[in-house]
Amino acid sequence: MQIAPDRRTTTRARPDYAAIARTLGPLAFLLLLVAASGAVAPGVLQADSMLGFLSDAAPVIALVVGGTFPILAGSIDLSVAGIASVTGVLVVVLNPVFGPWTSLAVVLLALAFGAVQGLVHCWLQLPSFIVSLASLSILTGLALLLSNATAEPIPSNDVLVGILGNTVAGLPNTIILLAVVVALLWLLMRYTGFGRDLYALGSGETAALMSGVNVRATRTLIFMLSAGCAAMAGLFLVSVTAFSSPTLAGNLLLLSIVGVVLGGTAISGGVGGLFAAVVGGLITAWLRIVTVIVGVAPTAQNIIFGLAALLAVAVTTDRKKLGVIK
Amino acid sequence: MTTTESHVGAVDRAKRRSGTHGLLQSLRRRPTWIQFGGPVTAVVILSIGFHLVSGTFLTLGNLRSVVEASAVPAIVAAGLSFVLIMGAIDLSIEGVMAATSMVVALLVANGVNGNHLGPLGIGLALLVAVAFGLCNGLLNAVLRMPSLIVTLGTWFIGLGMAAVLFPQRVPQIRDGLLLGVARIRILDFSLVVYIAVALVVAAQLLLNHTTRGRMIYAIGGEEHLLASTGIRIKGIKIAAFSLCGLFAGIGSLLLSAQLGSGNADIGSGHLFPAISASVLGGTVLTGGRGGAVQSALGALILEVLNNGLIQIGAGPYTRNIISGTVILSAVALGGWNRRRLLRVVK
Amino acid sequence: MSNAITLRGVRKAYGPVVALEGLDLEIGAGEVLGIVGQNGSGKSTLLKILSGLALPDRGEILMGGTSVLLDSAAAAARHGIGMVHQEQSLIPNLTVAENIFLDKAHPSKRHGIYRWSALNQAARAQLDKLSVTIPPTTLVETLRFSDRQQVEFAKVLAIEEMVDRPPVILFDEPTSLLTPDEIRGLFAQINRLRGRTSMVFVSHRLEEVLEISDRVIVLTDGRKVAERSSGSVDREELYELMVGRQRVDPSLRRAARPPVRAQMLLQVEQLGSHPHFRDISFKLGRGEVLGIVGVLGSGAEELCRALFGVIRPDAGTFILDGKQVKAAGPRAAVQRGIGYLPSDRRSEGMLPGRSLTDNTVITFGSQYGWKRTILNRRRERAAAQHWMTRLKVKMNKASAPITSLSGGNQQKVVLSKWLLARNLRLLLLDHPSRGLDPGARDDLFDVVREQVGQGLSVIFVADTISELLELSDQIVVMRDGEITARFAPSSGRLPREEDIVAAMV
Repeated sequence: MQIAPDRRTTTRARPDYAAIARTLGPLAFLLLLVAASGAVAPGVLQADSMLGFLSDAAPVIALVVGGTFPILAGSIDLSVAGIASVTGVLVVVLNPVFGPWTSLAVVLLALAFGAVQGLVHCWLQLPSFIVSLASLSILTGLALLLSNATAEPIPSNDVLVGILGNTVAGLPNTIILLAVVVALLWLLMRYTGFGRDLYALGSGETAALMSGVNVRATRTLIFMLSAGCAAMAGLFLVSVTAFSSPTLAGNLLLLSIVGVVLGGTAISGGVGGLFAAVVGGLITAWLRIVTVIVGVAPTAQNIIFGLAALLAVAVTTDRKKLGVIK
Repeated sequence: MTTTESHVGAVDRAKRRSGTHGLLQSLRRRPTWIQFGGPVTAVVILSIGFHLVSGTFLTLGNLRSVVEASAVPAIVAAGLSFVLIMGAIDLSIEGVMAATSMVVALLVANGVNGNHLGPLGIGLALLVAVAFGLCNGLLNAVLRMPSLIVTLGTWFIGLGMAAVLFPQRVPQIRDGLLLGVARIRILDFSLVVYIAVALVVAAQLLLNHTTRGRMIYAIGGEEHLLASTGIRIKGIKIAAFSLCGLFAGIGSLLLSAQLGSGNADIGSGHLFPAISASVLGGTVLTGGRGGAVQSALGALILEVLNNGLIQIGAGPYTRNIISGTVILSAVALGGWNRRRLLRVVK
Repeated sequence: MSNAITLRGVRKAYGPVVALEGLDLEIGAGEVLGIVGQNGSGKSTLLKILSGLALPDRGEILMGGTSVLLDSAAAAARHGIGMVHQEQSLIPNLTVAENIFLDKAHPSKRHGIYRWSALNQAARAQLDKLSVTIPPTTLVETLRFSDRQQVEFAKVLAIEEMVDRPPVILFDEPTSLLTPDEIRGLFAQINRLRGRTSMVFVSHRLEEVLEISDRVIVLTDGRKVAERSSGSVDREELYELMVGRQRVDPSLRRAARPPVRAQMLLQVEQLGSHPHFRDISFKLGRGEVLGIVGVLGSGAEELCRALFGVIRPDAGTFILDGKQVKAAGPRAAVQRGIGYLPSDRRSEGMLPGRSLTDNTVITFGSQYGWKRTILNRRRERAAAQHWMTRLKVKMNKASAPITSLSGGNQQKVVLSKWLLARNLRLLLLDHPSRGLDPGARDDLFDVVREQVGQGLSVIFVADTISELLELSDQIVVMRDGEITARFAPSSGRLPREEDIVAAMV
């Protein structure tokens, strides 16, 4: 016998304050942060420092946008920083093979790698954190191995990296590409079944499965997108530095996760989205500027971001959904 | 009602459990020492294999260097098993190691500041390591945050602390006691190896011969059943995380002693091998199985692999690639028979 | 005979559902008390209250003349009450000995240090009480189900040494997963302890309850309706008592149903899936309703899940529209036009954080879009709205999360997910009315009936006999994984409720 007690028998309308706070809270926080730093150091709000900020923020935002997909589905992808690093290395290493189109080929490779990762995760039913942690290890080793642990200049004939390094009407091309990609992802989420299936996996995977959602395909696509965005972030990074280094994105692992949770996406899955990702990415990038204004040593940034992650997770995690918390 | 599993599901599960009778099951019925058989066999086979290819693996000198090199990874892996057996994870190891190394280097006699706290400095450094574990445990057990994300945060906090503490130049350690640990050799092995053995054995005893140790296994087995019997498990969880921090801290101290200086990058490359070692030793990431000795043996396997591969000419950067591949295969093989149509793995 | 436990006027309700109402009950010292009743009669609630897992809303529990508060399993254990759970409560990766003393302080665990040999010896002594030969060092997960039950039994019996009065042992459906031999073994144990300890034996199986108990109590709709010594039982009367409120006015049944079309849709032949069910055969035509009824563990729910492809059958065939179907997961089943309303709505039916519309269109929303790829959200919303209106879902707006609705309305939304399909042929309803109020149930059944009229075939696992008789064209009764009776109300002859109950227990 099983009696399901129904605590709520009335269905009176009540604005969902929690949801509103989750969407607007991070945005308000971002604006506050920008305003406060503007008050302290007016220089940061000038047009060219803003543009500088945006092209600086582009890689972080790309990583956060990519990392949002697995987290929305209740998984996690720890390999993104590794993919970004390897991307930079491959742009150099594969240049003799693919010539000017190397960076495009590398992005496709990253997508394939993500697909494999997603398939391994859901077909073998292995937790995503261990699959992606293993990938991170493999990719870190691969980056060192392929580059022989040295930084090398990006070949000048690479079309995509060349474009990314330029500006259109003063706007860095990285920002334009990022905006286009985010818009495309938004369309994908909004106008195909993928978005709905993604949220379904995050809010109740068993129910999604029992409703006939193609869980395996959805998970594969999730990790593809995550890896693709990470590769894009890698390209953004090399387009700025013009050098590829095997440890290019080494410290971006934490930032990619921090950005996701700071934007209001819950680590327990099913809550959040692209808007939250962009806001979270901007907060994270701006926090780096704030630390400089306040005078925190760049070395201490990890402490700030670690604490920010803990705080954001403490606030946004839906503990009831997780049941037994490991 | 917060239980999510349906009655049908539970009965299903009970029936399934009663139905499985595999080789694995009959192996598990044997006494614990059999569990060590697998990893030991792996070490032996790998060693012989590498010797056949390189011809230099099974020399006394090389074997000694394998043992020396696996001492600290074994300590770290043994400490991590407290957490893994509960079914949780601790990613903060590298951060804890970094912070501990810097703290100890700045508190004992060193080449940067005038501190000369000696044993007290070592104790304080270990206290920092325990504090990290304690913090992980509190956030996980009391604030009910997933250990994965909690320890990801503390990982980088530890790295940040080490970076902030890092003085203008490398802090050379001049404390005789600490340096002695690395220098003293007994029967041609450094004291580090003996400490590692002692710690691993202590961890194994703690896990298998104390009520709290056994409760760590029980938490990994059926946490919700355990909670319903009224046994207090929060304290046990916090203790497990603290122990993991302590072991990582000790590992870091020993490495710092070997290095002769504090190093903010000392933990780098220790997290993943520690997880791999535990998994290779038979720890299942969903918890409930494994042990400190098994994890330490897993660390030995990894070191044999590393050393052997370098002997047969693989470059220095293959280490990460191999441990990544090894762990994926180990986890995949171990979890193969747990796959179910309706199983949800995040 | 003195009483070990006395219950006075105990009442327990879960929200609007009253599980126990004014129950008076005595459990005599040293007696075996059997409790029988259908699903939802209050048996499990009674056990929960006795074992400290639930507190009664009203009434009191007396032990040795004083009122006791059983607010946790530990409190119950302090009073010498222990339960042999159906879903077992042993930790699988600990040894037998550890499990027996898991929740008890014992000299072998003093100061938190394990003395394994002392612990094993103590466990041996407990197991010897039952003459069980399982080594105490065995890991529980390696034991067979019946052996694990013996360990659980020993664990409960070990309470004996902790308290100064004879223990009370509660058995919750102890035989449902045992083979006949194992059941004999269990009964031998119970007989061995008879007179020394009090036992409460709860089971759906009337035969067994009558065999093992000194006294039998019949619970129906949360009330004690009969009390007999097992020697003097009129079974017919017990069946009749167990039917309880579920009697239906014959004139209500099958009102305004079109005649069943003869076109065949589904043929199931000797389908089996160990250990859930075996040798299941039936045929189902288009626009026909097959009602399945059985107590918990009868295999009816698993049969439904097997047809949906979630449980893999190991024998027999399942032919849908002339084509043999293999179990290949829910997605394949959905593509074949099979829908499934799960009994576990919370974790399998609904997507908790999502809106009503999202919950409705999750499966078939894409068919309203362009080439099933680009969604047309407006048409989806309209379709979802259409079905929610038809089902009379009480809501404010379709974008509210499904968790803001009452259970009945949630169930309607979950059902509407399947009604959205254009090619649905077979709908499996697994306990569709569980936890629903009568109004919501009627709304649900009205729409199902209407769809059946348009050619949908339905297999329906019933919660109560009245809804079974109300909706079904064919009736299949299952017990212990087998079909024990078939009735065909569509042929005009209505089965008696007592006959159905007799085939169930």
